[in-house]
Amino acid sequence: MIRLAAVADIHFGADSSGMLRAQFEDLTHHADMLLVAGDLTKCGHAHLEDAGVTVLEGETTTVDVDGARVGVAGTKGFGGGFAGASGTDFGEPEMKAFVRHTMALAEGLEHGLRSLEGCDVRVALLHYSPVRDTLAGERAEIFPFLGSYLLAEAIDHAGADLALHGHAHAGVEKGVTPGGVLVRNVAQPVIKHAYNVYTFEPSRSLAADAHA
Amino acid sequence: MAATGEAPSESRHYIVQRVREALAHDGRTNELDLTVSVNGDKVFITGTVPTTERRDAIGVVAREVLPDHEVHNHVTLYETAEPTDGEDLS
Repeated sequence: MIRLAAVADIHFGADSSGMLRAQFEDLTHHADMLLVAGDLTKCGHAHLEDAGVTVLEGETTTVDVDGARVGVAGTKGFGGGFAGASGTDFGEPEMKAFVRHTMALAEGLEHGLRSLEGCDVRVALLHYSPVRDTLAGERAEIFPFLGSYLLAEAIDHAGADLALHGHAHAGVEKGVTPGGVLVRNVAQPVIKHAYNVYTFEPSRSLAADAHA
Repeated sequence: MAATGEAPSESRHYIVQRVREALAHDGRTNELDLTVSVNGDKVFITGTVPTTERRDAIGVVAREVLPDHEVHNHVTLYETAEPTDGEDLS
């Protein structure tokens, strides 16, 4: 079994030191890897790479879990809104820059997910939401600041088993892209735990390969 | 403005935004996801934050911005228990 722990929006600050130590010390009993969907800190930059964390901003990584390959493509994503009520790459340069930033990140995400074809499980790791479903509870006026349909489109075109995001503190955990990919909003105020765990059972042929 | 109990003259829309901006920019808080509502001379703040220090700082910052208002800090803390079981997505 592949066990993915995920959380976002921890918003750690100097006032948070040691607060989650006990929960994360126990992490290896619950999960094979931890995926953080952005906003680890309140502001500023944590020295992530020095601490052995793989940062995925437009990049991918693969992790071997008992012979199964888990591929993760990461981008923070950006806003713009959702189908029928979204910003358009037209008009004033500032608006174009806003929408084009999301388009560029979505394109990178699609490319990253395609490069992971052949992995047993593929995960899109975002900060902004790809769908409206998981924003239920947020005010509709701010949806364009919380995510973009372009991210879902990229995920649906390339294919994935799971899309993780955060950012929407008042949203809900569960959603699905128009193409049927499962979406989970793991913002800590939403999941109300130190992290959530999602599991995948490797296919029978894969298990046979692993033991061959 | 004297605390007469009458509603302050500034529109509550602008008061809400002044508090939200202060809570976002002030280094003691840097919180963008709080809900601020104003009713007469009372201000209510709701939302969740990771620490008691940050929750308390929210009240301090809001009172500094609006010394003539009665600030009700209803912000709660994140729940950070370990998960009990995973969700099977196979």
